[in-house]
Amino acid sequence: MKHVIVVGAGPAGSSTAVGALRAGADVTIIDRKTNVGIPVQCGEAIGKTGPGVAEIDIPEESIRAPLRGFRLFSPGQISVDYATKEPSGFTIDRRIFDKELFARATEAGADSLLGARVLDITQENGTVTGVVVRHDGKRKTLKAEVVIGADGVNSQIARLTGLRKSYKPDDIDSCFGYEMANCDLEVTDLMEFLLGSEISPRGYIWIFPKGEGRANVGIGIGGGVETKTAKEYLDHFLKHHDVAKRQLSNAKVIETRVGALPVCGPNKTNVVDGALLVGDAAGQVHPITGGGMGYAMVCGSIAGRVAAKCAQNESVKTSDLQQYEKEWRKLYGAEFDQSLKLRELILQTEDKTLDKLANIVTGESIVQMTAGKKVKIFMRAMATKDGKLIALMRELRKLRMV
Amino acid sequence: MSPTSTASKKREKKLADVDGELCGICQACATVCPVNAIEVTEGYILVLPEKCTGCGTCVKVCPVGAITLIDR
Ligand SMILES: Cc1cc2nc3c(=O)[nH]c(=O)nc-3n(C[C@H](O)[C@H](O)[C@H](O)COP(=O)(O)OP(=O)(O)OC[C@H]3O[C@@H](n4cnc5c(N)ncnc54)[C@H](O)[C@@H]3O)c2cc1C
Ligand code: SF4
Ligand code: SF4
Repeated sequence: MKHVIVVGAGPAGSSTAVGALRAGADVTIIDRKTNVGIPVQCGEAIGKTGPGVAEIDIPEESIRAPLRGFRLFSPGQISVDYATKEPSGFTIDRRIFDKELFARATEAGADSLLGARVLDITQENGTVTGVVVRHDGKRKTLKAEVVIGADGVNSQIARLTGLRKSYKPDDIDSCFGYEMANCDLEVTDLMEFLLGSEISPRGYIWIFPKGEGRANVGIGIGGGVETKTAKEYLDHFLKHHDVAKRQLSNAKVIETRVGALPVCGPNKTNVVDGALLVGDAAGQVHPITGGGMGYAMVCGSIAGRVAAKCAQNESVKTSDLQQYEKEWRKLYGAEFDQSLKLRELILQTEDKTLDKLANIVTGESIVQMTAGKKVKIFMRAMATKDGKLIALMRELRKLRMV
Repeated sequence: MSPTSTASKKREKKLADVDGELCGICQACATVCPVNAIEVTEGYILVLPEKCTGCGTCVKVCPVGAITLIDR
């Protein structure tokens, strides 16, 4: 049987493995961790960005609380709500989520090698043919028809294949968060987002309810921001901001989290002869919301199936594996392209203008815009007679978003 | 000698140093290191002194301020 190696046992890797197994390949999942899913480096909200809950099979054991939508606070604290009637997403426990997805993959027949760090790839005539790992203190080489890099934001497979060398600081968000207990949340089924250059430059603060008075409270700031660290910004918010004082003044920290998030859109391409990338390694993270789990899972299933088919056909050239690029970009390519442009525009917009924008948008139009779709707010913006808001609308019109 | 080469000479005398007690192994530093000088393992972050150029890019992105540049 033909063999596929998946590097990384996160949501991307486990979904890829299942996709490849179903299409008839032998699969080995390699992870440098001995405990998959730990430490948690995530806001743990799923189903609200990219693929909806119906398109991804969320392990039931991992579900913490249903989510119906969000409450967005503009820099001047003008709030915009979006809520569906029925739950349209969940907060999950990623410790359980990642572990269950991994267990599913192994139960479906994948072999696994934990505590094995990939150091290098092997190549023959320019085609990737395997990986070199350090495991039990020894170097080992493992061979496969296709190697899949599902190894996260700091992907070594991306570096070694040349698909992505390093990120520029502003291409990632530097994240810090707390899981908190004893929260007095005003809404328990909406995610709260807070924008503002004072509180979280080039990023946002999130409060995601987890049920039972618990919440994930975190921040992502632009990696290039040098005024303060992400932790300092979040601690300042918790101490001084009205929204935090109202809801979190009695809250206690029960876990701290750090993380790095690619926010510059997917890599130009994610395939080379004999290898491909998926999930954070491919940059499949929404440039505005920072959501990545759903994309990782759907793109992973595609990647696994295509890799297995190519392996069986004994033809693993870039042109064969390209089928994966074609399929996932058909689903999400336009959404990523548009939201990346929208991100750039929002980053250039002054806080005051964002407040004016918050006054004229509905939750529904925010959902449409972050999905890269056109919304009808142009006339309302014109009616404000605000020069800067109108200038922003002109830019949005160039993107065909209003 | 041009000013830039003086600056780069100076940088080569520096080395990124991670405070293991603050570090939460988020890998932000490693993702932006232009020369892949930072190794990430399950339990710690390792700066490879033979690769690190002392450029300071990693210092900017650390969410908890765990990295400083020290003299070699
Ligand atoms: C602070 C923060 C908050 C977030 N909040 C959300 C959210 O609320 N909702 C959402 O949808 N997304 C969120 N994301 C994004 C989401 O966490 C990622 O998109 C998702 O984890 C990507 O999954 P992945 O499988 O591609 O990568 P990962 O989950 O990072 O898995 C990669 C795996 O590869 C392994 N690995 C890495 N290098 C090697 C190597 N050399 N050898 C062997 N193994 C290796 C790692 O140990 C790891 O297990 C957040 C991210 C951050 C940082
Ligand atoms: S100082 Fe520069 S070269 Fe050294 S580890 Fe940091 S980013 Fe890499
Ligand atoms: S950026 Fe800071 S917290 Fe993250 S791995 Fe590097 S040193 Fe540790």
